Amino acid sequence: MTAVPRRLLQMAPGVSLATLLTGFIIVPIAAVFLWAFAEVWRYPSLIPTQWGFRFWAAMLSRADVWAALRTSIALSVIVTLFSALICLPAAYAFARLEFPGKSALLLSFLATQAFPKFGLYIAIASIFFSLGLVGTFAGVVLIQLVNTLLLMIWIPVGAFQAIDRRLEEAARDVGASATRTFLSITLPQAGPAIGAALLLTFVGTFYETEGAFLIGAPHVRTMPVLMISLINNQLVVQYGAVLSVMLWVPSFIALLFARKILSARAIAGGLGA
Amino acid sequence: MTVERTEARRFPVGLLLVAAPVLLVAVFVLLPAIAAIVSTLRPDAAGWSFSAYARFFGDRLSTGNLLFTLVSTLVTSSALLLLCLPIALYLRFSSGRLPTFVQSVAVFPLFVPGIIVGYALIRFMGPNGTIQTVLHAIGINGFRSPYLTPVGTVIGLVWEGIPLTLLILLSGLAQVPDAAIEAARDVGAGGLRILTGIILPLIRNSLTVAFSLSFLGVFGAFTMPYLLGPASPEMMGVFMQRTFSELQDPLQAQTQAVMCFLFCAVVGVIYVRSVARSRRKSA
Repeated sequence: MTAVPRRLLQMAPGVSLATLLTGFIIVPIAAVFLWAFAEVWRYPSLIPTQWGFRFWAAMLSRADVWAALRTSIALSVIVTLFSALICLPAAYAFARLEFPGKSALLLSFLATQAFPKFGLYIAIASIFFSLGLVGTFAGVVLIQLVNTLLLMIWIPVGAFQAIDRRLEEAARDVGASATRTFLSITLPQAGPAIGAALLLTFVGTFYETEGAFLIGAPHVRTMPVLMISLINNQLVVQYGAVLSVMLWVPSFIALLFARKILSARAIAGGLGA
Repeated sequence: MTVERTEARRFPVGLLLVAAPVLLVAVFVLLPAIAAIVSTLRPDAAGWSFSAYARFFGDRLSTGNLLFTLVSTLVTSSALLLLCLPIALYLRFSSGRLPTFVQSVAVFPLFVPGIIVGYALIRFMGPNGTIQTVLHAIGINGFRSPYLTPVGTVIGLVWEGIPLTLLILLSGLAQVPDAAIEAARDVGAGGLRILTGIILPLIRNSLTVAFSLSFLGVFGAFTMPYLLGPASPEMMGVFMQRTFSELQDPLQAQTQAVMCFLFCAVVGVIYVRSVARSRRKSA
């Protein structure tokens, strides 16, 4: 008799947490999806009164959307490439080589997180201002690059450290060259985590709003900066909703792939947590 | 002989490989911070002076914004701990499909860009938004939207901050041995006693990292307060942006930034030390 109520009582905390979190976290995002496909949705109707793709067509025919998309993709590709070029060799060195000051230097990347971020951006922007870098693409690339360092170093360091050294030694024993060993043994093992770090860097740069807004405005307009101006001008609700869905769904699928490789914990670790 | 040679060869190679990103941190983090301090203390060629700071402290708007930022930050960071600690405890001490679901939902914001969250929350809690619609449907009227109020900023920042805070607490809780809890239970300790006597002391470092990271994140936030917060008082992020971009006053914006650094310096040091400590422990 008492078995059923007791089971319910045991489930109560889980059920209430699930309900609370779903209501607070999932519902707002779900509502944006509804708005993106709503042609008419008048208060106080619970769901849209008329569905359709009219606003998708309107959004896709706007030149500023396509220009911002091009800017954002170019920015993300360049920043990710530079970041990989600079950080991956460093990550390898941190994981596998010995040199003085190693652990202190590795921790120095935390400095990017140890400042109140926007304050740091203002300090950087003031220097860029005197160098004429404000409002330029190069300025935005530089400020984004700084943002990517921690993630692009810490995640690959973990990956390189996790490699089974015995496999490499075995390859060397049977006569493989150092390069061959690196390409056939080391890289494939660290590859997935490095791929995930690249993906996270790309997506993170694509959506970075604050540095792009401060340094890029008014000439360099990335997608998030365009989104800010859509919100500020209080245009039709659906424009923002369509843009959100359009931008977010591809990144979400990409990030789910990253999550298959890296735990959420590792992703958070790349953020210095 | 060969060993000596490889050691000698490796030492500069390692340093050389890490030089580029380390230099970037020096040039784009330390240098701007130092430059901001120096140029605010030397506003013109005439020499050292506190005039920029005198202007900051002589202005009720500036000091008000600073105080408002500090209060908002403390409220948000505390709210995050109070919300995430029960979730983390629940996840640590239960298993099955329901906890897995709870964890996926709680970690989900990690995968949503801030700008989209900001927009979604305007539609959620703003005028004629989801909350108001649902309340109206069940017959409750007179909803006062937190959008464009200080509470709106806190809600947005809590939404964003849940995953990191939760994951840090979870990794701390993972190191609490079951045996310690069972032993305490055997001698008759209640749930609250176990929490305050065993669990909390053991995860003190994680609590520190979580609190300091969210403190720094909120103090230096821009997007959420810009989209969801009031026009006055402003959080420092919004205030600095307006001073820099709209008022075109880099010197005063830098002064505001240095004030932010000052208020966050202690927390920043605590954060780096705690992360270093937990890395040493796990290494």
